[in-house]
Amino acid sequence: MAYVAARGGEAAIQYAEQLHQALNGPLTAERVQLIAQLLPYLVDRVMGEGSLYAPELAALALAQTGGDLYEAVLLLRAYRSTQPRLAYAEPVAQDQIYTVRRISAAFKAIPGGQILGPTLDYSHRLLRLDLLDGAGAAGRVQPVTGSDQRVADTEHAAAADPAQATALDPSLPAVADWQRAMGLLEPLPDTPPPDPATLPDLTREPLSFPAPRAHRLQSLARADTGGTLALGYASMRGYGLVHPTVNELRLGYADVVLRHPITGASFSAGRVRVSQCEVVDTQVSSLRLGYTATLGWNEVKVIAGAMLDLEMDAPTPHPAHREEFVLYHTEAVEASGFCIHYKLPHYVTFQSGLDALRGVRDQGGEVPGDR
Amino acid sequence: MTDQPPAARPLDPPRLVTGGPLLRASGLRKCYGSIVAVAAVDLEIYPGETVGIVGESGSGKSTVLRLLNLEEPADAGDYRLAVPEGAGGNLFTLDRYHRRMLRVQRIGIVYQQPHLGLRMNATSGGNVAERLIMAGERRFAALRAAARGSLAVSEFPAERVDDPPAQLSGGMQQRVQLAKAIALRPALLLLDEPTTGLDVSIQALVLDTLLRLRREQPIATLIVSHDLGVIRTLADRVLVMRAGRVVEHGLTDQVLEDPQHPYTQQLVHARL
Amino acid sequence: MSLADLAHPRYDYSYGFLDEHARRELRRRILKAIAIPGYQVPYASRELPIARGWGTGGLQATLSVAGPHDTIKVIDQGADDSVNAANLRRFIARMTGVATTTDTTLATIIQSRHRVPEERLRERQLLVLQVPDPEPLRHVQPDSSKAREMHAEADYAQMWLSLYEQLVRFGRFVQGASYPVVVHGRYLMSPSPIPRWDTPTLHQAAHLTILAAGREKRLYAVPPYTEVRPIEFDDVFFQVERMAGRVCAVSGARHKFMDELPVAGGGSLFRISDTGYLEKLVRAARGEPVTIGPTYYDAVGRFYQPGVLHEPDAVPPEGGTGHD
Repeated sequence: MAYVAARGGEAAIQYAEQLHQALNGPLTAERVQLIAQLLPYLVDRVMGEGSLYAPELAALALAQTGGDLYEAVLLLRAYRSTQPRLAYAEPVAQDQIYTVRRISAAFKAIPGGQILGPTLDYSHRLLRLDLLDGAGAAGRVQPVTGSDQRVADTEHAAAADPAQATALDPSLPAVADWQRAMGLLEPLPDTPPPDPATLPDLTREPLSFPAPRAHRLQSLARADTGGTLALGYASMRGYGLVHPTVNELRLGYADVVLRHPITGASFSAGRVRVSQCEVVDTQVSSLRLGYTATLGWNEVKVIAGAMLDLEMDAPTPHPAHREEFVLYHTEAVEASGFCIHYKLPHYVTFQSGLDALRGVRDQGGEVPGDR
Repeated sequence: MTDQPPAARPLDPPRLVTGGPLLRASGLRKCYGSIVAVAAVDLEIYPGETVGIVGESGSGKSTVLRLLNLEEPADAGDYRLAVPEGAGGNLFTLDRYHRRMLRVQRIGIVYQQPHLGLRMNATSGGNVAERLIMAGERRFAALRAAARGSLAVSEFPAERVDDPPAQLSGGMQQRVQLAKAIALRPALLLLDEPTTGLDVSIQALVLDTLLRLRREQPIATLIVSHDLGVIRTLADRVLVMRAGRVVEHGLTDQVLEDPQHPYTQQLVHARL
Repeated sequence: MSLADLAHPRYDYSYGFLDEHARRELRRRILKAIAIPGYQVPYASRELPIARGWGTGGLQATLSVAGPHDTIKVIDQGADDSVNAANLRRFIARMTGVATTTDTTLATIIQSRHRVPEERLRERQLLVLQVPDPEPLRHVQPDSSKAREMHAEADYAQMWLSLYEQLVRFGRFVQGASYPVVVHGRYLMSPSPIPRWDTPTLHQAAHLTILAAGREKRLYAVPPYTEVRPIEFDDVFFQVERMAGRVCAVSGARHKFMDELPVAGGGSLFRISDTGYLEKLVRAARGEPVTIGPTYYDAVGRFYQPGVLHEPDAVPPEGGTGHD
């Protein structure tokens, strides 16, 4: 009798879980650590969409689900629901980020310089098949030699280890700051940044539209990478009104700065990987910016998100230009959950629909009173 | 809920104008950004009277119509209708709910573009019936009868009552809009270029219907058109608009036969 | 002493899983929903350890109101023993320590997906219905901001237009489950995808009903003894599913909501969808002592409150109201 087994429900669940575990191998602390070490970008993606910066827990979620991304994000979010909010971190200004990668497509050179940082952008996408034949580390990227050696070494060390990040210059000016100084962008409001505790918080209150700016950015920060890309790509590919330029893309480390509740002194509670992208549109009298930031390093998501942010209020009927459409449908946990809910039995609703259909057939389509 | 469905009400006999105007609007003003669409327009319409507004596109005539349909807020002006829902006040100050109820009960409109006034994929009868549903009718038989009756008045073929407007010709779509507009016997009927874009022969048929309607159901009507022929056929009085202002007004015959303002002269002569 | 000594062990959860702030917020929203019958109250729906769209709304409502003295029944499609119902039940029990039952008359809280039990709920019982889509206007207005304005103005004409269209095109109302209702003469409400058979059970009910959508972050309620009317015309009426002629293959009972079970080679068998009720019928037939509560529909299919349901096939008299 399929999956509505008489009295068998709970036992069936246990057997199903056991089978899943048997196929995925044993779950051990070592395997979890390996995932955290070997798959940092995957861990970043889960943390970003899970909106919880906890590499160990994200790796555990990946291990527990056998790498099913949506399930891993759900695990992290569900864990997050149980945790109280203890404090609010201070805002992080752009020039306080320990930047390991920073590029601007808008200018050839920018104050502070373009920093290629860790990337595979310009690598040949060739499978390292020799590795499978036991080549070991022989085929590694040739180490940089010569006068750049010292710079490269510090950068490598810093990018690889957040504790070393102080070696980087934390004060690379934002490209947008230069644009503001030149009068190309509206100046920032001359008010101090709001108290973080007073910001609307998407995890504590429901989204409604038009969404406060904070809600929109929070929603994009934890949006599904694939969904953000799909809608962002639709806008970029030809449904968009503009052709924006990447003003600045940054990957780096940010200090989570807290204030001591008694002494009021600021201290860093830790350092997290962050990425942010700002795109700029030139088709109007002054420049316009679109922005997305997220926890972890996830370039595709912040670029696509920034494009969506720029055009989310455009007066066109295209779905990617409507805030409600974009934010609702890029919500990873809700979208994937609703998708898999179709696996649940629906035989009562189906029976109800069948009754209506049979009724129509019996009625012969005759309109009441039309005889 | 109406005690008696509108289609069942007896037709009013023609009357002499004895009371005050049904519609009184003064000082209408509307800007879009830096563009002044309507500068200062005054307008009165008496019960049973048809008033036309002519002017080129951009003259502000359609904006006046949208203001009178309470579709968008005016920047300034006073607008009163002598109907109970108007409560003797300026209609621009009504809240959303009362504005909507007043529009449902008292104002009918026919747009140049049928998709603005119709649900293109609902049946034609349903489009008309929705007006009565909004007014509280909950009897299916009464809705069906009223929809058929109103469509018959606008000379819509009975056998197509259950076809959606998306499957109809432009002329037929205008008849559905008209049937919907008059379904509740409104106090005010607004016609926005109702025949523009139709074939000439279809135009003539729709004009015939409007003329017959004017004879049989004298509803205070405002018709906006750039077509002097349409205005001449339907309107008792006419206002000539240019750049958001009324440059000349008077009886239709008088204005069109003996235009005083140079702009009106230009309009009339361009037609000849 | 280290930080780890001071903190709870990592695997500790709050009572009812959610943290205290979330529970408090939910209880406030539920009170608001009860105060404005049928009105969709937005709330910050939290992620739970079951997938979104699998009853997270109902689960949050249940977790926020359940206490150690409660007895809970969880059903999906009327069945206590489906994997989904079993999963939710063991989670609620694990997080709150409540007792569980399959007997409707013994439960203080009944969380359900897509069904109302056949036995009549009493005062002080709570029915929590899981809601996939709280918005009854969705198919006429997909934009939720605009739908909210329509609710604010009670602008529901399009719903009756869709009834009109159904009659013109199909000769009858074709909505299956989730049949929209008007609550307390004010708000249009989706009763969740319960079959039409269950819709009248919400009208002037003795129990409280909370309906909660986790994914869509809205919850709403029908307080006890509140008017709940399906949308219909004054002369063409709402109809429940026809159960006449269907006999339960297990119990021989009639006039209850039946699951249809296709039989190889054609034809169907029928079985009562409410498994808790069916089990009691079977045990009673064996002579075991069981208490079966009064049901919403009696043995010949009459609804317990007279005047709520109209006889099927009531067609307006020829010629309507006589003004063509």
